[in-house]
Amino acid sequence: MPVFLKPSCTRHSFRSLASVKGRLASTKSSEHSSRILRAVQRRINERANIRSQLSEDMSSPQDIAKLRQLKDSEPLQKVWDKWTSALKVLEDLKPLLNDSDPAMRNLASEEAVELDEKLSIILKESFPSLLVPRSTTGDLSAMLELKSGVGGTESSLFLETLLRMYVRFSQSNSWKPTIVVNNENESGGIKDAIVEVKGSGAYDILRWETGIHRVQRVPATESGGRVHTSTVAVIVLPLIEEQDAQKEELFSMNDIKLEVMRARGAGGQHVNKTESAVRLTHIPSGITVSMQDERSQHQNKRRAFQVLSARLMGQKITREIAERRATKNSLIKSADRSEKIRTYNYAQERVTDHRLGLSIMNLTSVLDGDGLQQFTDALKKDSEDTAIEDMLEKH
Amino acid sequence: MRFHLPPAELRWLKSAAAESNRPLQALIQRRLNREPLQYILGTQPFGPLSLKTCRPTLIPRPETEDWVLTFSEHLSKYFSPLPSRPLTLLDLGTGTGCIPLLLCHLWPNSSLVATGVDISHAAVHLANHNAALCGISPSSFTAHLSDFIDSDFPNMQAIKPPYDILTSNPPYITASDYLQLSDDIAKYEDPIALIGGYDGLDYYRAIARLIARDGFLARRAVIALEVGHNQGAAVCDLIRPTGFLPTVWKDPWGKERTVIAHRR
Repeated sequence: MPVFLKPSCTRHSFRSLASVKGRLASTKSSEHSSRILRAVQRRINERANIRSQLSEDMSSPQDIAKLRQLKDSEPLQKVWDKWTSALKVLEDLKPLLNDSDPAMRNLASEEAVELDEKLSIILKESFPSLLVPRSTTGDLSAMLELKSGVGGTESSLFLETLLRMYVRFSQSNSWKPTIVVNNENESGGIKDAIVEVKGSGAYDILRWETGIHRVQRVPATESGGRVHTSTVAVIVLPLIEEQDAQKEELFSMNDIKLEVMRARGAGGQHVNKTESAVRLTHIPSGITVSMQDERSQHQNKRRAFQVLSARLMGQKITREIAERRATKNSLIKSADRSEKIRTYNYAQERVTDHRLGLSIMNLTSVLDGDGLQQFTDALKKDSEDTAIEDMLEKH
Repeated sequence: MRFHLPPAELRWLKSAAAESNRPLQALIQRRLNREPLQYILGTQPFGPLSLKTCRPTLIPRPETEDWVLTFSEHLSKYFSPLPSRPLTLLDLGTGTGCIPLLLCHLWPNSSLVATGVDISHAAVHLANHNAALCGISPSSFTAHLSDFIDSDFPNMQAIKPPYDILTSNPPYITASDYLQLSDDIAKYEDPIALIGGYDGLDYYRAIARLIARDGFLARRAVIALEVGHNQGAAVCDLIRPTGFLPTVWKDPWGKERTVIAHRR
């Protein structure tokens, strides 16, 4: 009697059993899986090795470092234990699959299917996510800059929509979004905006939003009913705290020119103007930041320094990535600001991410619901896959 | 003159309306009547602090914020903060309490004991209220009702010389300038916090008399006085005979703004 197991899954799980080794066709996907398994096996061996080196009373200073390593690899060990025990059960089940009693055979095959699914999830999801090297930017908050591009007022109107989308998205991820710059367009919409998104992991998720976002629709202002294409540029930068900015030594105060904008006449008690715009120039890079949305000089200055630090940190990270590795395998190369990454087509109720080649046929859910999460999840997955590829290639 | 409401102000008014459950239209109308934004919103950021602002007490200005922040760093070159031997500070005409409160906030806990005086009941009440809002205890800052040009002022119970630091943003607008001020200041802010007499220097003369008194200021005392845009030289002339050596700091807009003086 045939046993109905999903062929690809069976292949993965049985592959690691010595009894079936070498019998299987080496497709690209199983090749990848076996490399992941080898990498996991290597980590588990290392762990066992470290454990055996621990001194009896755990008193030496080296022990502390070792204990930390053990702690780090503990989640992997736990999943590995699940994996091996499931494999063991599957192995034990094998004779029953050919049992003379049909009821027993059925029971066994049902259980085998279940186990196989479990193994497949471990192999495809749990192991890879545990192997991904910890992101160096994993703790960082984000700063989103939105600028209207082609399309005039229509672009500004769409910018307002995107701004709302990101604020909602941030809230639903339990981050804390604050709009720090909001330059309204006189004829409607917002010319440019900056949103601070505070929360661990905000930068790592949002960074893939960097690029050109394109909207295709009939503008409210268009009487002829023609579809226009307009764009909004999004730049996502890592936000670092003031103390950390100093540690990173992103700039020296000697390289900063600070200007206060607008004459105040006699100033002091003679004047009560509410604007307090400042402009910072980082002379070596030529970056200038103007800030006027806060109510005091001091706050505007702090904000301006925050934006400057974020921009310099962004440059630093881009530079480091370029130095560390060629990103040839990545769908999404290091954030290229001029790349068209996504199209929002109103007539078709469609949003397409051009890097993923993924379309969501529900524009409203992307702008007002949880649709964006699907894109960010897929982009995160891609970046993790790339990181694993990189790691596997090194061995 | 027609008044145009800047978009940033409209945004702040909107969020104030939403937060305090007041009708936006009423807030906008008040602003169009030239009431200062800070009175309508009820707060003004001052360095990292958010101070309560309340008619008619003088609203803290950005020039003051700027020099107080610089002055705090300047002081740390001369004094090291020690909770066991706190520095004492006297602020004359304290208003919202902005100057001593920011310094208390910037200096380590209980390393500074500040006293503020003001002739206005409203200001004294507001300054003490602001101290509570900023989490600064009465042992670090207290404001008292007092007229510092009164000859009896040094004998007041709340005044305990010698002081290590003397600060003041006294009224310095001349009588003729006062007539030229825009409505948002002239119609709403307390004239007693603004007018410094015929030549705007009345209160600096009173301050010069105070600091010349034996034992009023400590041996290594430091003085910081905010001045009007063209009063730097005149105030220095008043300070020099008291045995203090004055220098003038400019504000970020290039105007002479603060006279800093150390004992010779």
